[in-house]
Amino acid sequence: MRRGALEMQGSAQDWLRRLHALPPRGRFRIMNVCGGHERSISHSGLRAALPEYIELIPGPGCPVCICPEEDIYTAMQMALRHPILLVCFGDLLRVPVNTSKPEPRSLEQARTAGADIRAIASPLEAHAIARRHPDKTVVFFAAGFETTMAPVAAMIAENLPANLLLLISGRLTWPAVAMLLAAGGAAFDALVAPGHVATIMGSEQWRFVAERHGLPTAVAGFSAESLLAAFYATLQQAAEHTARLDNCYPELVNIHGNLTAQRLLRQVFDVSDSHWRGIGVIPRSGFSLNEQYRHLDAEQHFPIDEQARRRAGEMPPGCDCAAVVLGRIYPDACRLYGKACTPQQPVGPCMVSDEGACRIWWRGGVRATQARGRT
Amino acid sequence: MCLGIPMQIIAIDGHRARCQTGGVEREVSLFLLQDGAIEPGDYVLVHVGYAIQKIDRAYARDVLDLVGTLLKDETRPHA
Repeated sequence: MRRGALEMQGSAQDWLRRLHALPPRGRFRIMNVCGGHERSISHSGLRAALPEYIELIPGPGCPVCICPEEDIYTAMQMALRHPILLVCFGDLLRVPVNTSKPEPRSLEQARTAGADIRAIASPLEAHAIARRHPDKTVVFFAAGFETTMAPVAAMIAENLPANLLLLISGRLTWPAVAMLLAAGGAAFDALVAPGHVATIMGSEQWRFVAERHGLPTAVAGFSAESLLAAFYATLQQAAEHTARLDNCYPELVNIHGNLTAQRLLRQVFDVSDSHWRGIGVIPRSGFSLNEQYRHLDAEQHFPIDEQARRRAGEMPPGCDCAAVVLGRIYPDACRLYGKACTPQQPVGPCMVSDEGACRIWWRGGVRATQARGRT
Repeated sequence: MCLGIPMQIIAIDGHRARCQTGGVEREVSLFLLQDGAIEPGDYVLVHVGYAIQKIDRAYARDVLDLVGTLLKDETRPHA
């Protein structure tokens, strides 16, 4: 399976040939749970290249999209009402929350209203900004899945400047899939598991999908070749009337994952029941600072507006982001898609984030309802 | 958020490393790889400024091609 870039191209063609050579079957819905996968699928035009009966469904793969309104509102209020410097990943800045008209509706608008809010691309930058501003309290509002929360855990465990506090809104990926499956009547027939989450946490985390729920499962990387290999693996399992966990990303992924990263995650965080915006509480799906590090929680230092706590789980009116995140509808089936909601004027978080399915589809050129129907 | 970028390590100082990719240099944390052997010249997959896994040279080149084409599509940085 070793190859250079040019062979990879040919190899993607090979996988497509093999996929087209499979005996056609009924509708086969493969869910991905990673914005990076969806971007690569969209960018490479894989949907159009696959046999008609294969559907690729973007599922819960965008941490910004499911970051609870209450957390964003809390971060906004903290930055507006207290003399702090708030840093967060750039994706979060434009996510709208429901507020009464005169109030800022996003972190970006809170910044316009005078709050000191800066976009960063790495926890290292949060660290550096805190070091540069020893006279200020810097609050790092950190949302992300395991791939982001492991670096955040490393930053906290390594050596935190005394003036750096945290607002943690981290989530685990697999509990959302477990929730979709536990609800019964899963709207997909196979799962492509996220390659970099598995790099950190190990491929074993995804075995339950095959063994407990009987769905063909394969871990995929981000190249067209790796994704196609994973689609092929799940179809082959289905053809064999079996379900197992295949690893189509052996370059990065092994059974156990990055044990150092997992140790640091355990050292810093507890795993607790957590809200997913528009979806509700998913058991044991969120990271929160544990006893040893709770003093770093910004909410302990700055009073929280009780209003914020009542906002749990809301999506903007008319917005179908929750159904999109859960893979129940395609992005362009939302009534607002491309009409009231565009990347320039986003209504829902899925149109804001680079990992959001709506934004990815828009960038991929989907302008009207083109997708095959879903139920 | 989960797209990583392969980078080559130029120099290591404790848990920090100077890394480069496509002529761009960045400071990268090796804290998540502290329990393994790692040295200048090695390739690592970097996510939000942290190396999350060591990778082999040929694979790094494949991914750089992919990331290059994806980033060309995108006008602004993302986390």
